[in-house]
Amino acid sequence: MRAAPKAALAGAATVAAYTAVVIATTPALEPAAAVFAAVSINHAIMAGMGAGVGLQVYVSERAKALGCKTKLGAAGRSSGAAATSFFSFFSLVPLGCCGWWLYALSLLPGVLGVGASAVLIEHSQALAYAGFAAVFGFAIQGAMRLRRAAALVKAD
Amino acid sequence: MLNPKLAVPLAAAGVALAGLLLLPGGLGGGESVPAGTAGAPVGQGVMETGGVRHTVPLSEIRDGGPPQDGIPSIDDPAFVGAAGAAFLSDSDTVIGLEIGGTARAYPLSILVWHEIVNDMVGGVPVAVTYCPLCYTSQVFVRVVGGEAAEFGTSGKLYNSNLLMYDRTTGSYWSQALGTAVRGELAGAQLEAVPFDLISWGDWKALHPGTDVLSTDTGHTRSYSTDPYGDYYTDPRIMFPVSNDDKRLPPKEVILGIEHGGEYKAYRQSDVESGSPINDDIGGVPVLLVSGYQGNARAFEREVAGQTLDFEARGGAVYDLQTGSLWDYGGLATGGELAGAQLARLAIHPGFWFEWAAFHPQTGVYGR
Repeated sequence: MRAAPKAALAGAATVAAYTAVVIATTPALEPAAAVFAAVSINHAIMAGMGAGVGLQVYVSERAKALGCKTKLGAAGRSSGAAATSFFSFFSLVPLGCCGWWLYALSLLPGVLGVGASAVLIEHSQALAYAGFAAVFGFAIQGAMRLRRAAALVKAD
Repeated sequence: MLNPKLAVPLAAAGVALAGLLLLPGGLGGGESVPAGTAGAPVGQGVMETGGVRHTVPLSEIRDGGPPQDGIPSIDDPAFVGAAGAAFLSDSDTVIGLEIGGTARAYPLSILVWHEIVNDMVGGVPVAVTYCPLCYTSQVFVRVVGGEAAEFGTSGKLYNSNLLMYDRTTGSYWSQALGTAVRGELAGAQLEAVPFDLISWGDWKALHPGTDVLSTDTGHTRSYSTDPYGDYYTDPRIMFPVSNDDKRLPPKEVILGIEHGGEYKAYRQSDVESGSPINDDIGGVPVLLVSGYQGNARAFEREVAGQTLDFEARGGAVYDLQTGSLWDYGGLATGGELAGAQLARLAIHPGFWFEWAAFHPQTGVYGR
């Protein structure tokens, strides 16, 4: 498969996984209503995360086509996407009274302590965007490496 | 080395894992309800479907996700005096309750994590309840079948509102209606208790000897943070409601009053600016007053068969008929009616969308 379709597939799969979690954790709403609500609240995160992951895949595919090896790991991309989605899910608490995310947040202090949990809850949106920045950071890093590699190939 | 073949599944799995890791017990599904949607009537407003008594369509009882008591009620509440409530600021909102000379405050910052406090105040067993999504606070006498009962969170919702369950029969109770909607007690009604939704600072001023619910709840929660974030001030609601009534913005804070089968909503801001308000609901003359920002009280404005009209003069409230002076508790403290007491009414503070969903036929004061 060529780079662009593969990148589009990766971005779509990321968004699909996100919406699957939203549907699964919002049983109080019909799936369409849950997805609509999540898109209304976190459209920037969802679109950006899909684009970021897609961009990373595109860059890596292009690198592969040039015969380059990069140290950019899929694990880094995954963890960035996971952190972004995890913290952005905090903003879904208002989608249902007594919902999964209120439940999850109520368990956090038992795991991380009250202070750390308070910080995570208070700054969840900022942390979501930090994860989002990490996803794009990996993509940009990969793109720069690819550009350097392409220049070297051209010089040869 | 980046392996593109791993990219898609890893990214997707990362997102999914972020959502699923903290969900013990697996994902929630819909409530298992008996087959058939139309039940057979077995009493006034009560149907029976597959042996289950209910007053609302079973299909409209939705699963919130967490299991029963996943959001734990506070069943053995501990209290501290006002001086010991360093965890509260004067602007924090509390549910203030005074019964038989005992005054207690229940901070919403604690209730948002528990939703129900089973307490005994002035010898009366009460359930202090709060549904953050609808911003509805309700206090009930928690007596079921003549016996004190404990209430817990069922993990279910009706009209996006908390469904409580009683630990005696397991029946589900709508927090907004105070009515059992499913189970053995379907159709039963809890007695609502008048209370104040008020800032901690104002409640302390009204009741200097008050106690306040302690953060020592037996559960570890981040009581200094509200998991609903800016939900209360964001004008949007992100989920569908059963009766999208455009007469007021969905998150307008209203005071709902039901009397004689008639429902009326008063905007909190209207009560504050127009206090005292003389009105009628279901043929009963009522008085609404607001002495503190965000707070209001309602009374029947009738004494010994005489209907009174009230007005504010110089920061005090007088009735027009006798010129008697009345305090914020509905007690005449001066004039011909000195010593007379107005009957206080339970009011239902909450967001407009919730009141309109439960009471589509409601009137709106001033409209």
